[in-house]
This record gives sequence, C-alpha cells and structure tokens, in this order.
Amino acid sequence: MRCKMKLRSSIIIAACAATLAAAPAWAQFKPTKPVEFIVHTGPGGGADVLARFIAQTFEKENLAPVRFTVNNKSGGGGLTAMAYVAEKKGDTHAIAVFTGNWLTNPLTRAEAKFTVKDMTPVARLVLEPALIAVKGDAPFKTLKDFIEAAKKAPGTMKQSGGSITSRDNVVRQLLMKDTGANWAYISFPGGGERIAALLGGHVNMMVVEPQEAGEHIKAGNMRVIATVADKRLGGFPNVPTIKEAGYDIPNVEQVRGIVMPAGVAPDVVAYYEDLFLRLSKTATWRKYLEEQQFEDGYMKSAELAKYFDVFTDQMRVILKEAGAKVVR
Amino acid sequence: MEVLTSLGHGFAVALEPLNLFWCFVGVFLGTAVGVMPGLGPAATIAMLLPLTFNMPPTTAVIMLAGIYYGAKYGGSTTAILLNVPGESASVVTCLDGYQMARNGRAGAALGIAAISSFIAGTVGVLGLMLLAPPLAKFGLSFSSPEYFALMVMGLAMVVLLAGKSMIKALLAMLLGLWIASMGIDLFSDASRFTFGQSELLDGVDFVIVAIGVFALGEVFGNMEKRGEGTMLPVPKGLRNLLPTMAELKACRFAFLNGSIIGFIIGVLPGAGSTIASFISYGVEKAVSKHPEKFGTGVPEGVAAPEGANNSETGGAMVPLLTLGIPGSGTTAILLAAFILWGLRPGPLMIQENPDLFWGLVASMYVGNVMLLVLNLPLIPLFAQILKLREYILYPIIFGISIVGVYAVSGSLFDCWMLVVFGLLGYAIRRLDYPSAPLILGLVLGDSMERALRQSLMMSQGDLAILVSRPISATMLILAIVLLCLPLFRRANQWRVKALEENG
Repeated sequence: MRCKMKLRSSIIIAACAATLAAAPAWAQFKPTKPVEFIVHTGPGGGADVLARFIAQTFEKENLAPVRFTVNNKSGGGGLTAMAYVAEKKGDTHAIAVFTGNWLTNPLTRAEAKFTVKDMTPVARLVLEPALIAVKGDAPFKTLKDFIEAAKKAPGTMKQSGGSITSRDNVVRQLLMKDTGANWAYISFPGGGERIAALLGGHVNMMVVEPQEAGEHIKAGNMRVIATVADKRLGGFPNVPTIKEAGYDIPNVEQVRGIVMPAGVAPDVVAYYEDLFLRLSKTATWRKYLEEQQFEDGYMKSAELAKYFDVFTDQMRVILKEAGAKVVR
Repeated sequence: MEVLTSLGHGFAVALEPLNLFWCFVGVFLGTAVGVMPGLGPAATIAMLLPLTFNMPPTTAVIMLAGIYYGAKYGGSTTAILLNVPGESASVVTCLDGYQMARNGRAGAALGIAAISSFIAGTVGVLGLMLLAPPLAKFGLSFSSPEYFALMVMGLAMVVLLAGKSMIKALLAMLLGLWIASMGIDLFSDASRFTFGQSELLDGVDFVIVAIGVFALGEVFGNMEKRGEGTMLPVPKGLRNLLPTMAELKACRFAFLNGSIIGFIIGVLPGAGSTIASFISYGVEKAVSKHPEKFGTGVPEGVAAPEGANNSETGGAMVPLLTLGIPGSGTTAILLAAFILWGLRPGPLMIQENPDLFWGLVASMYVGNVMLLVLNLPLIPLFAQILKLREYILYPIIFGISIVGVYAVSGSLFDCWMLVVFGLLGYAIRRLDYPSAPLILGLVLGDSMERALRQSLMMSQGDLAILVSRPISATMLILAIVLLCLPLFRRANQWRVKALEENG
C-alpha cells in the first residue's frame, strides 16, 4: 500500500510539473502526466520487452509529451493484468499491451472476471508469423510429406508445443481437420524444451517462431517446411505458406497491440490511436519489426473491436474441437 | 592444446580493465540479490538489461553472467544464518546450514558454503570449457521418460530426508505434491485447486512456500518459547569463525559430489538447480558413514548442495551457448539479452564468436575467485547478526521475508500466502513432521507429472516407454535401490546386534 501511495504522490508531483509546462491547448486530449503502461509478464517477458521498447522509442523520437512507465502486473496467466486494466475504468493515463492470450484465456478460465470487451481497443501493432519446422535430417521435405506420413500411421507422429490453447495447437487442429490426418501433440512449458524435444528426435515437428529457430536452421539442425503467415516471409523467400503448400486453412495470427480501460472519451482513444500510428511509421520501429521478423499489423480502434469479435468466435470453435472446456 | 590457446585468448579478453570492472560489478550485484530473499537473478538481469545496451556485447555478457553465478553464492547466507532461503536452490542448504549456526558454527558453515561454491563453480566452468559440444548432445538425448525417471529418483530421496517417522515424511511429501498440482494444467487447460482465485492460476510460487515454511515457521516456533530467549552462540576470534581442517576434510567427497552432480543436472535443460542440490544432498547422505547426523548440522550437508547449485551454472551454460536452449528462467533472460545484442547462441556460436565464448569462460574463472575473495572476509561480519537479541532478530526475519515475497510479484495476495505457509510451517514443527520432504514434493511434483504425461503421450499410453530406454531404466533402478536403503540399514543393524549378542 505504502509503495502505491508513494508512487501516486510522485505521479501527482510530476503531473503538476507537466501541467505547468504544457501549453494550454485543450481542444484535444493530450496526456498531462506519465502514462502507466501495463504488461502481464514480469520483467524480460515478451510483452514487457515490447512495452519497454515502445516507451523508449516514444522518448527517442519525441512522439509524446510525457513519459510512459511500464508496470508489470504478472500472475494468473495474464488475468491479473486484465482485471487491473478493467478496474481502471475511465483512466485516461493507462494503456496496456494485449496479446492473443488476452482473447483466448477468458474463454477457458472460469476465474476470469473480465474480457477484452471490458476494455477499449486502441490499436493492433504486430503480427508474429511462425514456421513449421522438422529436424534437419528428417525425411520430410515439404508439409505434404509430413501430412502423408501422419496419415499412413495415425497417432504416431508427434508435435511439440505449448499449452493446448496456444497457436501451435490451433494450427495442428486446423491442419488435421482439413486433411483428415492425425498426430499427437505434446505440451512443454518452455520454448527451449520444445526445441530440445525436436532436435533430440523425440518429436517430429513443431511450430516455432523464426527468431527462436534462426540458428538451428542456419546450422542445418532444423528444416522449415512451411510458414504460418499470410504471405512469404522476407527471411524465408523459398518456403511456401501453409496455403501455398496446398492447405486452405485460416491463417492463425499471433497478435500484439494496445488496449486501454473502458469509459474514456473518443478524443482520448483518437490520441493514442494516432500516437501508435506515428510510432509504426518511424524508422526505429521498422527496424525493430525487421529484426524480430514480425509483420506490421497496425489496425485502428474501430477495426480492432471487430477483429476481437471475429478472433474470439474463431478461437471458441477451435478450442472446443481441441477438447478444451469453453466457459463463455 | 587448442583449448589452452583459446583459453589464453579468453583470459586476454576477460582481463581487460573494462571487462574486469564489469565482472566485479556483476558478481557483487549477484551476491547482493542472492542474499536478499525473493529478488532473484532473473528479475535483476531483466531490470539491468537496458544499462548494458551501450556496452560492448562481451562486456555485457560477462557482467550479466556474473549476476547469475554470483547470486548462487549469496543465496546461502540467509539460509545459514536465518533459515531464510535466499533463492530457491538454497532451500537444501537450510537443512544443515541453519543447524550448524545453531550449534555455534555459523562462520564455519558460511565458509564451507563459500569454499564449496568456489570449487564447484570452477569445476562447472572447466566442464563447460572442455565438454560443451559433446555434452550438449547428451542433454538432447534426455527426453520426457528420462526426466520422469530423474524426478522419481529425486522423489525417492524422501527416504533419506525422513526423520524419525517414514509415514510422516511421506505425508509431508504428499502435501508438497498436492501444492505443486495447483494452477492451470498445461495439457487440458483446466484449472486445479484454484478455489476460484485468479491469483492461484499460475500455481503457488515455490519461493513463498520455502520462505514461509522454513523462515516464518521457525520464527513462530521460537516465539512460543517464553522467557529469556537463548541467543545463538557466536564464538569470538576470527579462527573460530572459519571452518576447521577436520570440517574441510569431512567435506572432501561432498565438494566432488556436488560439483559433478550439479554440472550434469545443469546440462539437462529440463531439470534445474534446486533438484541438483536435493540430489547431491541425498547422495551425500546415502554414502555417508554417519547418515543419522544429517539434519543436525554436518558440514557435508552444506557443502554438497551449495556445490551442486554453483556448478549447475556452468552446466546450464552448455545448452544455452551451444544450442540456444535455456533451461531456467535466468538463462531464458540471458538468451533474450544475447538476441537483443544481435548475438545468436547456437551450434555456430563458438566458431563465430570465439572472443565472446572464451572471454565469458575465462571471466567465470576470474569471477569465481572474486566471489571467494569478496565473500570470505564478509563472514565474520555476517555472523554478527546472530548476536542480535531475539526481539530484534525475529522482526528482521519477518520483514526480510515479507519484502522478499512482495518484491517477486508485487502482490499482497502472495504476502497472505506467505502467512498461510508460515502457519503451516509452524504446525509441521509442532507435530514433528519434517519440512524437507514437503519442499521436495513441491519442487518435483510439477515436472514429474508433466514428464510422465508427456512420456505416455509419446508412447500412446504404453508404460513400457519408461523402462525400455536405457537411461531412464537405469535411473528407475537406482530409485528402487534408494527406496530399499532403509531396509538394508535396518537389516544391518539387526545383524550387528545379533553378532554382538552372540559374541
């Protein structure tokens, strides 16, 4: 409690300073005190690294009149942060990074008190593509080779991945439904363990992020047989997307973007929407996307709201088919 | 002799003044966060990451690695003095370390921890340097069935950690296994034992249970003793604060055992340093001539787990640097840091970045020496804390524990959990249950269940997968031997008794 009070008073002091300094232009919303930037992972987690990079870029490129301070609200598989944002109703100085988990987790968790419906969508930022990879010396040269092998011996081929609600499994479910093939899915909590299982020959295939797999592909220990993306990836111009490989399944995106508490005026949303649009056009951001092999997925607030609905509906069906208990 | 040339080159890198300075900063910070319970190396590295962006990558890696292995050194301090495990791997050090402090050998225990850490840390780096590529391959041959067998072997250690009553030890272990099962089940996405609390979805943090059961349980237990509290004896004079030759001699095997077991378990990406220290403690007790004295403050009981958790660092660097596969939270953040600098640890790392690899290896030798020099003189100073009266000492332990837990998550819910586990620790003491099996069950439960389910998914439900693979079969046999150990002992005692009666 003490800490919070201290933080609050320092925010007030900073706010006074900022108000004094800012020009009195009230026609449109502008933040007047440091903006709280909420993430659901601890320091070093994916969303945390992204938020810190964004906050740094805002300062470096002079995009916003105030500072953005990252606040880690980890725990509850993201639900703690979601509840925190939802309960800040009307707060114009708080934004949060959302990921696909924010959309999926409430579907299967009865403990969730809030969904993204209880928040204001601000902007979608990035889409993370993925690779379908096999071991370097595996007999499968194409996705078709793998699927045919799986059809011949149902249930014996194995894929390593995360929890059953993760993208890895969603891609598998969609492919199995489309082709009638059937292979096992083995969950590992850490990305490292998933790769180790593939490289050690304990599983046959995995869905992996380009960055994680980069070195193994270069060293020849891993082979990419397809990409999970809308179009071919810059780093892998010769590898077809799933669709190009002949399997007509919807592309499963790993998405990251920004939401804020509900109950804020339209000009507030418009301000942040525009702020992130300006961010997405900077050279620093472009370079970051290229390095991380992310796709630019900028989308405005209104479109994002629709996207949330479509994505959630799609996931609900997929999760039910995957055998998860859907609670809402 | 290619290795020596490369190592020489590495030392040239590590001994550059800039690198030497940051190496010191790293190990110093590491010791500090190690001493602080709760705040661990993973969070520290993540928070300091932005500081390193302007450094040359090699320097930055040297510093961050210093935090990692430095924290392992520091973790033993509060474990020995206050029964508060400074980080997860030092739980095992509490068992004999705190008892040594109660016997007036606090300084000796700290000294042995430092020396054992130094020896094992150095052995770990040696292993990293000489065996990295072949060992990385060995690590990959481990999969779920092998991990399951390893965890079974770990769990079988319960027979060694049991006090007077085996039944009580088993019950405590079951409690630990139950706590480990709380949270979201990875395989079905169902939540288990969360009682509708979203805070429990991630399960119960091991640090909270360890601090609650060990530190708060001990304080509650001692508060009950009314009247003039007996202070712990702290002998005067520097000589009495350091381990004696006899104590060091008793630890000879423990140094070796801890170093080797820690390193091998470190190489496996799915195990971790807490398991390493439990296993080396168990092995030490199993081969000891006086196993009944373990838990009452024997130096080997400090040397083995402290060694294991330090050489584990060298081991964990093997899959990280040669495969780009992190085995723990801390190595995962180190990997993220490498990537931010544009370095990609992986099979080509040693060839492509010899400066960095050999510089890091050499800096770990240097850092280990620094840590020994840094820690030994601090021992007499730290030992003085035991001179505090109980009415000062206990509130301090309370404060450190609560701050430590709050620092990890920033959640008040966790502080209440700490109280719950403190009361549990008190109850356990009052009813004369051992607390180590509870912690053992908690550490192993999650990974053991996961490994078993993964194995069965791999084999489509055929249990034979567990015994048909040579490594897992061997470990399962070892586990059975461990479980039978008390029976052998009893038979032996009975035989000796019979012989005496006859003669």
